[in-house]
Amino acid sequence: MDLSWLDDFLWTYQNVIHSVGINGLLALSMYVVLAVGQLSLGQAAFMGLGAYSAALMTLKLGWPFWMVLPLSCVVPILFALAIGLPTLRLSGVYLAIATVGLGEVLKALYVNIDYVGGALGLTGIPEATETWMIYGLLALAVLAFWLVARSGIGRAMEAIREDETAARVMGVSCFRYQLGALVVSAMLAGIAGALEAHSTSLISPGEFGFEPEVSILSFALLGGIGTPIGPVVGAFILTLLPELLRGMADLRLVFNGVIIVVAVLFMPEGLVALRLRRRSA
Amino acid sequence: MKRRSFTLMAAASVLGVGVLPRISLAADTIPVGSIEVLTGPVSPYGIAIRDGETLALEEINAAGGVLGGKKIALTVEDSAANKDQAINAARKLIGRDKVVAIIGPTLSAEYFALAPMTNQRKVPVIGTSITSIGATDIGPFCFRTSLPEADVIPAALRKAMARGAKTIALLYANDDLFSKSSYDQMKVAAETAGLKIIDIETFATKDTDFSAQLTKVKGLKPDAIGIAALVEPTAGVLLQARQLGFGAETQFLGGNGANSPRLGEIAGAAADGIMVGSPWFIAKDTPQNKAFIAAFNRKYGKNPDQFAAQAYDTMHLLARAIDKAGAADPLKIRDALMQVKQDGVMGPLSFNAKRDPASAEGVLVLEMHAGKFSIAP
Repeated sequence: MDLSWLDDFLWTYQNVIHSVGINGLLALSMYVVLAVGQLSLGQAAFMGLGAYSAALMTLKLGWPFWMVLPLSCVVPILFALAIGLPTLRLSGVYLAIATVGLGEVLKALYVNIDYVGGALGLTGIPEATETWMIYGLLALAVLAFWLVARSGIGRAMEAIREDETAARVMGVSCFRYQLGALVVSAMLAGIAGALEAHSTSLISPGEFGFEPEVSILSFALLGGIGTPIGPVVGAFILTLLPELLRGMADLRLVFNGVIIVVAVLFMPEGLVALRLRRRSA
Repeated sequence: MKRRSFTLMAAASVLGVGVLPRISLAADTIPVGSIEVLTGPVSPYGIAIRDGETLALEEINAAGGVLGGKKIALTVEDSAANKDQAINAARKLIGRDKVVAIIGPTLSAEYFALAPMTNQRKVPVIGTSITSIGATDIGPFCFRTSLPEADVIPAALRKAMARGAKTIALLYANDDLFSKSSYDQMKVAAETAGLKIIDIETFATKDTDFSAQLTKVKGLKPDAIGIAALVEPTAGVLLQARQLGFGAETQFLGGNGANSPRLGEIAGAAADGIMVGSPWFIAKDTPQNKAFIAAFNRKYGKNPDQFAAQAYDTMHLLARAIDKAGAADPLKIRDALMQVKQDGVMGPLSFNAKRDPASAEGVLVLEMHAGKFSIAP
């Protein structure tokens, strides 16, 4: 059987397939903070830290990718711990503004430090990301979130999301859960950043600013945050749409927008409007 | 439940459309691809490039095409100024459309992102608007027809020195790749030309207040001031400089970003006297250029800009290379690109050993008067 068409297909869409999976991880990184009712918009910044630290380890230190990938979440996690203490006292839109601000500060830093390539960013990063790594990690993350969501931790997280004060009265340590969620969010985004850096050969400061952050938020909102599957579905659709609509040329962005608006209007709970079933206690 | 299955069906049908094989191109056409920014804030550049290359394409095909009567089929893909979409577009052009060469992409960051992949796949990529240092060093299949600023800026510096400038202050936007690269090359060019750099100041592209930097520069009294930034901040610097009392005794020089008619529109009289180096100018008095401008006006009802001119020349050069290669084969076309020469609207065009334009003969120095550029006396 001649399978060369499959090779061609995979080669042609390799970057799309990679972006879809990486964006799935980012959507989960947004999901985990939304799951404890925090509108924390630092995912793009965490991703940037992961991408830059991983690319530097590869380019400047020459470390192999199997070492770089797990280490890429170290800097984002430390950063999350450092900013978690002051920012988690904020909530709602104030937390959103503070975390967006942090992202912009990091972006300005990358631009001004010549060691990390300035405005162009880091180029010539070797291609080390394999498709199975992305989807393996994605499957692992979804499974882990699913199990956690069904456990007592998931119940506490849902309680915090629905009513923080009530949860606190019931004896749930909100701060600990929220900091934990932030750290997991940073870890996932950092790994996604490392995968992204080693999938395309360039990372530049502009990829980790406010605009990508809004895309990550829209993955989660379009997909729905009732289950960990929802954000991943949202990421898949929003990443694939521009490529599927390529044939429409000038009308591409219009259709892209219309589809999103229609989806949000008619499915306000997200495309995957499921709720987790939990055994009654 | 019903709604959910409808959603799934809709998703499946959308996916299906994308996966269906396209009708393959007839064998008597040569597929060529182009990746440009056609949507978003950077789209004016990408659209100018598409217009320029499309005009050249029509001329080539009307004159009998290439390889003894085959027509070139051009597919232009949008990158939306996003590096992932630029890579996706390049992979689609090579994997599905089987193009023999790619013109573009519009931005240096996109070029750095996709060129390692296209180079590995051995398909020539020819940037028409890439000015960053090191772009063509990625590999033997990476070309550009845009002159790096290192070749354009010295002409303006020499003109300023001929008018008596000995010292220069440099101002640049350090948060924008284009501006930073323009500054790097302006600095090297000034040092090489023997101008004394007495101050370097930075700002951000979206800044509106430059008075701190300009006040400091004013105290140092440089003969010339070089501004490396996009057109809006360049105009802002000039407007504020005039308010702070910089007069005609200070020679302003602009980088590639200042080389736009928009500078005069925004800054008005404040921009008077600024000089830029330019690989092309609309009033350039050569028969090729006059024919190009007339044809462009007939087709689009407006005047071309520098980006359209560069793309127009590039498409003609590529057609020549395909003819010289004798086959629609990316490897042979690459080798042919290293040999072809043409006398186009920008002047003589061919590649040097580093796959950059070989000649800077076509560079002109332009000076702004009453909001319009003209060739500097």
